[in-house]
Amino acid sequence: MFQAFFVDPFVMIYDAPLFFVEVLVSGLMAGVMYALVALGFVLIYKASGVFNFAQGAMVLFAALTFVGLWELGVNPWLALILAALVMIGVAFTVERVVLRPLVNQDPIIFFMATIGITYFLDGFGQTIWGSEVRPLDIGIPNEPFMDLAEMTGLYINKFDVFSAVVCSLLVALLAGFFTKTKIGRALRAVADDHQAALSVGIPLKTIWTIVWSVAGIVGLAAGILWGSKLGVQFTLALIAFKALPVLILGGFTSIPGAIIGGLIIGSGEKIAEVYWGEAMGGAIEDWFAYVVALIFLLFRPQGLFGEKIIERV
Amino acid sequence: MERKIGETLLSVDHISLSFGGVKALTDISFSIRKKEVFAIIGPNGAGKTSMLNVINGFYHPQEGEITYKGVHRKQMRSHEAAVQGIARTFQNVALFKGMSTLDNIMTGRIIRMKRNIFWQAMYLGPARKEEMENREFVEDIIDFLEIQAIRRTPVGRLPYGLQKRVELGRALAMEPELLLLDEPMAGMNIEEKQDMCRFILDVNDQYGTTIALIEHDMGVVMDISERVVVLDYGKKLADGSPDEVRANQDVIDAYLGVPH
Repeated sequence: MFQAFFVDPFVMIYDAPLFFVEVLVSGLMAGVMYALVALGFVLIYKASGVFNFAQGAMVLFAALTFVGLWELGVNPWLALILAALVMIGVAFTVERVVLRPLVNQDPIIFFMATIGITYFLDGFGQTIWGSEVRPLDIGIPNEPFMDLAEMTGLYINKFDVFSAVVCSLLVALLAGFFTKTKIGRALRAVADDHQAALSVGIPLKTIWTIVWSVAGIVGLAAGILWGSKLGVQFTLALIAFKALPVLILGGFTSIPGAIIGGLIIGSGEKIAEVYWGEAMGGAIEDWFAYVVALIFLLFRPQGLFGEKIIERV
Repeated sequence: MERKIGETLLSVDHISLSFGGVKALTDISFSIRKKEVFAIIGPNGAGKTSMLNVINGFYHPQEGEITYKGVHRKQMRSHEAAVQGIARTFQNVALFKGMSTLDNIMTGRIIRMKRNIFWQAMYLGPARKEEMENREFVEDIIDFLEIQAIRRTPVGRLPYGLQKRVELGRALAMEPELLLLDEPMAGMNIEEKQDMCRFILDVNDQYGTTIALIEHDMGVVMDISERVVVLDYGKKLADGSPDEVRANQDVIDAYLGVPH
């Protein structure tokens, strides 16, 4: 027992360091994809203090719209733009129909409202585009870089690298936008106190529409990348749950936190599965992330980068 | 020094506001003139805060008209009010608790920052320059309010009196023409009250800002305000100079009372 937990895995790593690097890299790449989903949550949480239960549904809806349009014969680039516009449309509708009547309500009320949005988007998307699994091939081969493999013996998947690059770009763009500008400040202000934000002239409606649009577009990116891995189907909405441990680790309010959290969870679960899976009866990848999250909740509930909750009583 | 009090900046005419069957305000009219310090007083529940909420557009009255800078409106909208130069503070301090003093006051500059979203996204050139200029303006306010030492402190950690000061700073950052203060001295000790009085009068003096305030400390109100309106049960009892109001029998019966 002791041997299997504390000795064998490290011997394996020592014996085949290259294989360890491969596992680590593929874990990190998966982590970036988790981070992308988590990012959608963070954006909306930062701007409204609301956990947006509908983020998963938005990922599914965006991906369905994209694939659906493409299948109808629309040029894929055009389909991408149209799908993004649809997500912006969703943001406008959500703001008008759901958020605006709820200004100044408790966060829990918003949370319930986002559950409603989830059911609506799930149903509406599948009513329009059907519920069968659609394969999605965006033309990036799911194969390792052969040159690299021959030279170093390291197998790194092309698709993973592509998605990591896309995610990193998005993340860098968003992080800059939301931390360095007056819109970032307005966002934090809105999240903190609606009424005070209104009193200094921050247009609540505009801010909400902007974040929901951005969250929708991030959802589209996540939907396309995950969709080409898993196929575009209902289970896409469930990857949102994989974002939960990422958020708990990174902190709900931190964009860099979402990234680091994603990387830790992604690489952690791969390494745990490969090296400790056997000792624990396998398939630990499925629950590893949640256990890590649980431990974090016990010892550092605000996450690695979350804002510490300060309350003066 | 004699301050010059100008023409009417804001007037409310026959404002009535109700929530369902509850009448919060009934047929209220008064006007606030440029550069004056104007006070709204009255017992708890008289509708003072509701009145401020109507002026800056949080509440929309069912009847009446609001005239601000010569423009007649059925109601104000809060965002529009802010852009048009109406700033306010709140009875229970509504600051952004997780943000530093500096960031809180910077939010007051949002409506003054014009660069569009693309420059913002790049954080380049004009947007960066604009950020610097506004930062300078905010530093002046911090000096003025003597809160240099707490610049970087998250406001949730500050004592109540200082929070009220930061909130005033945020309102000032908007360069308001009309500043609404909802009980700026509630819960303060004598020293803090004196400081706050000084700040209010200085703002009025140096920037020529018109001030409308709600306050329960009669000593303060009668000292610093030029005109006073008295509300009770959502109705107007009286308005006029502090001396006139003090002598008004209705006001004495409803609110001030007589010394025993």
